[in-house]
Amino acid sequence: MAQGVAVPGTHEDHPSPKAKNYINAEAGVWSWLTTVDHKRIGLMYLVSTLIAFALGGFFAILVRLELLTPKKTFMSGHMYNQAFTLHGAIMVFLFIIPSVPGALGNFLLPIMVGAKDVAFPKLNLMSLYLYWIGALFTLSSLVLGGLETGWTFYVPYSSTTGGAVIAVTFGVFVMGFSSILTGLNFVVTIHKLRAPGMGWFRLPLFLWATYATSLVQILATPVLAITLLLLLFEKAFQIGIFDPKLGGDPVLFQHFFWFYSHPAVYIMILPGFGIASELIAVHAHRKVFGYRAIAFSSVAIALIGFLVWGHHMFVSGQSELASTIFSALTFLVAVPTGIKMFNWISTLWRSSIAWTTPMAYAAAFLFLFAIGGLTGLFCGMLGTDMHIHDTYFVVAHFHYVMMGGTVVAFVGGLHHWWPKMTGKMYSDKLGKLSALLLFVGFNATFFPQFILGSRGMPRRYYNYLDQFQPLHQFSTVGSWIIGLAFLVALYNLLDSLKNGADAPDNPWGGLSLEWQTATPPPTENFPVTPRVTHGPYDYSDDRNATGASDS
Amino acid sequence: MSASANDEKLSPDFHVAHHFDTADQQFDSARMGIWLFLVTEILFFGGLFCAFFIYRSWYFSSFVEAHHHLDKVMGAVNTCVLIFSSLTMALAVRSAQVNDKAKTVGFLIVTILCAFGFLVVKYFEYQHKIHDGLLPGVHFTAQGFSSPHPGTFFAVYFMMTGIHGLHVIIGIGLILWILLRAQRGDFSARYYAPVEGVGLYWHLVDLVWIYLFPLLYLVG
Amino acid sequence: MSSHDHGHAIGGDHVPHVLPYAAYFATWGALMFFTIITVGASYVNFGPANLLIAVVIATLKATIVAAIFMHLWFDHRMHSMILGSAGLFLAIFIAFTMFDTESRGHLESITGERPADMSNPFLGGSARQKAMNALYPVGSNSVKLSAPGIVPGVFDVPAAPSASAAPEASATVSPEASASASASASVAASGSTSASVSGSVSAAPSASAPPKH
Repeated sequence: MAQGVAVPGTHEDHPSPKAKNYINAEAGVWSWLTTVDHKRIGLMYLVSTLIAFALGGFFAILVRLELLTPKKTFMSGHMYNQAFTLHGAIMVFLFIIPSVPGALGNFLLPIMVGAKDVAFPKLNLMSLYLYWIGALFTLSSLVLGGLETGWTFYVPYSSTTGGAVIAVTFGVFVMGFSSILTGLNFVVTIHKLRAPGMGWFRLPLFLWATYATSLVQILATPVLAITLLLLLFEKAFQIGIFDPKLGGDPVLFQHFFWFYSHPAVYIMILPGFGIASELIAVHAHRKVFGYRAIAFSSVAIALIGFLVWGHHMFVSGQSELASTIFSALTFLVAVPTGIKMFNWISTLWRSSIAWTTPMAYAAAFLFLFAIGGLTGLFCGMLGTDMHIHDTYFVVAHFHYVMMGGTVVAFVGGLHHWWPKMTGKMYSDKLGKLSALLLFVGFNATFFPQFILGSRGMPRRYYNYLDQFQPLHQFSTVGSWIIGLAFLVALYNLLDSLKNGADAPDNPWGGLSLEWQTATPPPTENFPVTPRVTHGPYDYSDDRNATGASDS
Repeated sequence: MSASANDEKLSPDFHVAHHFDTADQQFDSARMGIWLFLVTEILFFGGLFCAFFIYRSWYFSSFVEAHHHLDKVMGAVNTCVLIFSSLTMALAVRSAQVNDKAKTVGFLIVTILCAFGFLVVKYFEYQHKIHDGLLPGVHFTAQGFSSPHPGTFFAVYFMMTGIHGLHVIIGIGLILWILLRAQRGDFSARYYAPVEGVGLYWHLVDLVWIYLFPLLYLVG
Repeated sequence: MSSHDHGHAIGGDHVPHVLPYAAYFATWGALMFFTIITVGASYVNFGPANLLIAVVIATLKATIVAAIFMHLWFDHRMHSMILGSAGLFLAIFIAFTMFDTESRGHLESITGERPADMSNPFLGGSARQKAMNALYPVGSNSVKLSAPGIVPGVFDVPAAPSASAAPEASATVSPEASASASASASVAASGSTSASVSGSVSAAPSASAPPKH
């Protein structure tokens, strides 16, 4: 199946699965903690972010459980505030932002470009340590009295409430450095370490998405750093930058925060787009339709993402001029996003789809992200947003994007590359069951929230009107199905480590470089530096294809 | 030009890292990494510049009144010190490029001395401000201001110069590190990426001050 | 010009691009010259151009440092683009934020819909009404439609910069009536040219006049 890419030295049969690979190259905890191998670092990121995901998910279940009844169900209002704040902060800063670049990106990027490692391996390890340190500070809020500000740390909530604001802010500040260093490493690696023959338009689309993500990480995260630093000083020394009593402006905090956090939304979703492109192309065995359009749309989304942050602030007291400009620019994002959707669907059209677990997740992604993306337009519309701002409609919208988009793509990608990472095959049946459960549970949880929001249910409220109870209960039951889906997926993957069959080098018939090396890959990825002769999706295409001009 | 050492003795400990093909590729990667890092630095300071422009436009009278309490002479002296240190840093890189170890070390020492000089002047400035109660936010206690928000000016002033000063201190540490390595004979025309990298960082510290000085001290 | 006679030896060893001493000292001289100019300029009052002059001179100096000391002139074009992108995104950041901070309240017609006092945003009910009455005395019996939303004295911007600029835009509406959507619709219908009715929740801004012009 490897007619597209010639990799010297890897076409012979592999002696045995027990050959030296990156996992068994060295033994002992110390060898893992001091490794500079991008694959080991990626694996440690994977475990760390999945633990964070489990913790964030635990808080999500608690929040949904509390909302079973209109009044108090089992926790106090303060506990509820802390639960949704930690759910948001953990999911955003500890899970979604580092997960795909940190885990899958680290593991795959150097292999996909045909390099031995990232450009700065020690810096890569430092990113991981910074992530751990930041995560510890953030989680310290659990014992330091909690955090009730919401994940956005808006002043004056954050500058006037007690608890662990300083610890969490500092933790996120440190994790910002981790994010910056990862992005920097990836950009330099893609620019400087591509194997011979690996032109820009032979990069797998996952790398284009990761490249765009890295640009955003480099350009936006420093502003988060200065925002949080100013917040720390505001809180600790009352310097008055954000305090209206002293001449400051609380809305300025929101500008600073969203200048980072809106592009950060694309840090979260762009890698999901990249994974979706891979899953669809490989499991449909079809040359990607409009390769360049998808590649450039990733970069376009990243850049346009810097022009629209004010749409989070339509009701903040921001000037009408700014709101109008931000609203108009917001619609531009729909253009490259639409290009992607149509190209993915065109890729699937009359292709030979292999109905595997990753493909099931990719299909769920397409469906859920379409809803998430389109409802984003409602929120970007000035007049509509006045009505739905800070309601469950917005909550449902960004969960459809973040979870229906990124998380579903991430779990799908995990199933796609799991054989390569671990050398084991999981049960395809259980995998597809988990995808089905996730799809059903997700829609059960979040679709009612669109209705709740459009009827006026505000987000973050502890009590609500009786008339909202049926939909809230429906949503809560849905959250249990989501929990079950992830437990099934987790069991399936962990079980494969013990009982799974050994994975072949190329179980899906992929053409990009990671499928051309051994499973699991050796420490330096390739015995000999590969020489790339074809694109990553040059499947033999017997239709009268139109998009064959990309090679 | 003083290319004196023999080629065999240049940077004896240097070897191309395993994941690079050539020294040139490694050097280029390092430099690109540094440039990307400098972008993050610029945007990091950018937040403060944004706050400066907004509050200056809102509280113009306060900013004009408050900036007269900064010491133009001390600011100008510090500007000259930093520009001179930028020159010596650039010359240190040049000396490393032509294998002149003695001059590399010498120029780095001068650079460090300039950095300390900058901090000493800054110390006296801060001491003066603290003594007069010209402080941010709630700590502003100075009397006799006719405009309402001088505390905001000093919040911006202390955050900007404070973070810049922190970068100077970090710079001293970095220059000291390459100074010791230069002394050990690590650098030569074959390998001087750390000198170049620290040099770029130091020039950026200078660049930020080039904006801070006129904005804070001269036009308010 | 990025002259590429350096650095790319086939064998792979890095070959540095060495500038003559004169280039460094000339750069230093230019930087000192511009420092003197900018200090000198600060003793002359150019009015609103003061800031512009300072920024332009600083940018000149920064360009010189980047081009010579930081070797950008002789370096890969890519590195210049990287630095340029930092400038571009910083400009976007500052400019777009100032779209907001420099024009708050310009379109706001119904001042009562905003928090009456920015320094005490949670002031509500009768206390807020009291603050409103203090701002707009009952005797005057009117609320200026074009009054800026920013309360004078909280931000020390001039009290009503746009009031004189667009006198025809100011109509009189009683405070009670302005709160109801139907009343604001009638204001819009009554042909007051640029009366922008964006204060009430149900009125979409798209129904009102375009910003400012």
